[in-house]
Amino acid sequence: MQVAGSTAAERLHLSSFGHAYLGLGAVLIAVLFYLGLAAQITQSSYDIAQLQSQQSQLIAEQDQLRYQEVTLHAPAQVQQQAAQSGMQRNVPTGYVAGQPVAIDLTAPVGATTGDATPLWERAVAAVINTVGGTRDVLAATR
Amino acid sequence: MSIGVRSRAPRVERVGSTRFRILALVLVALCLAGMVWSRLAYWQIARHGQLAMQAQAQYREVVDLPAVRGAIFDRNLTQLVVNTTVYTAFVSPDQVPAAWRERVTNALVSIIGADQATVMTTLASGAQFAYISPRRFTKDKADKLTALKLPGVGLEPDTQRSYLPGISSGSTLAANLLGFVNYSGDGQYGLEAYYQKQLAGTPGYISSYRDLANQEIVLGSHTHLDPVNGSDLVLSLDANIQYAAEQALADGVKKYNAESASVLIMDPSTGGIIASADYPSYNANNFAQTDTALFKDNVSSYVYEPGSVMKVATLAGAINSGAITPSTVINDPGYLNVGGYRIYDWDRKNHGNINYTYVLQDSLNVGAMKAMLAEGHAAFYSYLQGFGLTQPSGIDVAGETTVPPPPAGQMADAQYATASFGQGIDVNMVQMLAAVNVIANGGKYAPPSVVERVGTAINPLLLQPQRQVISPSAAAQMTAMMENVVQHGSGYTSRVPGFELDQTAKTGTSQIPVNGQYTQDVWASFVGFLPAQHPKFTMLVVIRKPHAAGSARDWTLNDGYITAGPIWQKIAQAMVVDWHITPDPR
Repeated sequence: MQVAGSTAAERLHLSSFGHAYLGLGAVLIAVLFYLGLAAQITQSSYDIAQLQSQQSQLIAEQDQLRYQEVTLHAPAQVQQQAAQSGMQRNVPTGYVAGQPVAIDLTAPVGATTGDATPLWERAVAAVINTVGGTRDVLAATR
Repeated sequence: MSIGVRSRAPRVERVGSTRFRILALVLVALCLAGMVWSRLAYWQIARHGQLAMQAQAQYREVVDLPAVRGAIFDRNLTQLVVNTTVYTAFVSPDQVPAAWRERVTNALVSIIGADQATVMTTLASGAQFAYISPRRFTKDKADKLTALKLPGVGLEPDTQRSYLPGISSGSTLAANLLGFVNYSGDGQYGLEAYYQKQLAGTPGYISSYRDLANQEIVLGSHTHLDPVNGSDLVLSLDANIQYAAEQALADGVKKYNAESASVLIMDPSTGGIIASADYPSYNANNFAQTDTALFKDNVSSYVYEPGSVMKVATLAGAINSGAITPSTVINDPGYLNVGGYRIYDWDRKNHGNINYTYVLQDSLNVGAMKAMLAEGHAAFYSYLQGFGLTQPSGIDVAGETTVPPPPAGQMADAQYATASFGQGIDVNMVQMLAAVNVIANGGKYAPPSVVERVGTAINPLLLQPQRQVISPSAAAQMTAMMENVVQHGSGYTSRVPGFELDQTAKTGTSQIPVNGQYTQDVWASFVGFLPAQHPKFTMLVVIRKPHAAGSARDWTLNDGYITAGPIWQKIAQAMVVDWHITPDPR
């Protein structure tokens, strides 16, 4: 390699100063590359710090808003606003004592056992309904 | 020869001397080397751990990742506690130019309310760092301070627990039950202390390496542990009822000129606490400026003699054991001699022949003592245990205080007698309410609890099997007797419109002992549940040292039915409206 290197130097007609300049140039490029990289890292770090700061600000604002929202629903606040609006809590004045229920709640649930109307009444009703038309009793009720 | 001899003798001496010198040098070198090696060994081996840590501290940076503390919700998922970001201002006096001092001081005084003289002194000190009081102010103040861009002034963010406003600016909602979190992040008192581990979670960290310029080495090895946020708590508490209870308590304490008062409301079937309030209370958002005596939760940390409320447990046990029935007739001459003492009824009157329904209705001590004697000491004591009056209730709140009675064999006859009507026995409100709740819960003891869920897990207290203390039949008989107290006895002051025939009660008034002597000051209490047949809540009100108008002449004006009963009624009425409770069908 040394032989090859010296051969190349000989071909480029580099003097000993040329070697030094070449080395210096390489170092300069390396330094510039490092500085560029460092600047990029610094910029990224700055951006990250900015974003972190913004994030903490937003979290703080979110917390503040949540507390405001929760406080708005707090009983103390609700009552205060209700009082400002002139609203008052309804106080029960009394319940009407229940009368004995006419309906037998213990009776089995379901359809009745059948139509107990005598057969002749049903026949008469069928004739009347056919002749005079069926009246809708429910429709007349409100 | 002589020359040779002469010439050889010094040579021998020289060789010996050289060897000695070499040996000496070697020894010295070895000594020196030994010293160096030993010193090296000291630093490399003996001090290895410490030096390694110091070296790591120079190039390794550990950033804590705090865990978010869990929130606390009531049964309707109303948030009771919110984590908010607060700020503390600090100054670097050496970086504040003299010309700026006055402007910096004025800003700190006007925005955060700092003391002018203190700030001026701090800035003039030339120190490198100092915090400015008051600390922990809100974001809007921090924003104002930031906008001024003051030299040498910085802000440090921190997390603070913010609690809901209470009945006045001096209190927050359920302060004594919830407790608070101190500046170190540790829960103090109440639920915050009891559930510290679950609420706090586990903090994490990021560990990375830094170069000489204090820049992170991106390619360096990172250690990263994510924080585990704390669990949320869902309580059985109802914020609206809690607020109504606090209001009623405050009004009652002021009206009856009392020292303090507390109320505890329980769900009869689960033992879950619906409301737990103390008055006076405190502002948990401002705990640093609060009298520490106010931090105590008088519901679970204060023991008192329950007085006649105890008759509920005494008579229920006696009915369950078959010793008495509500209609058993006894003779009450107004006193009873027990263990060398004559113990009187509250009115010292001869009541003649009465039944036990009347005993409870008129709160007669002689009746309670005769019931206890009818079932016997051993059975009475076992019922005390069954009702949970001899051991802590185990409620999930920090600092429950109890004073258990002496073992059964060590209690004198007079102690059994007075315990039957609630004197000479100490309980806290949780114990007493849980005992009365046995009647409301069909004879079963429901372990009291405040938290329903920790995260997604149900509180184990709620999963415990409920022990049957008395039979459902005995509980039903006792319920009827307690209904009678409202309809015909001292419980009339608690009547809620519409529920006159549907609510139960028992009053209690017990004298407060001081230095072994009973004084005229009393604990007045009132317990009951509603509706009687299908109770939605059980409530106990205790008011301490009431001084009602005219009580200087007649101390019975401080009785539970006069002072605690109306508070009970007010809260019960609010619950009826808020929970849409209707009377039992007839």
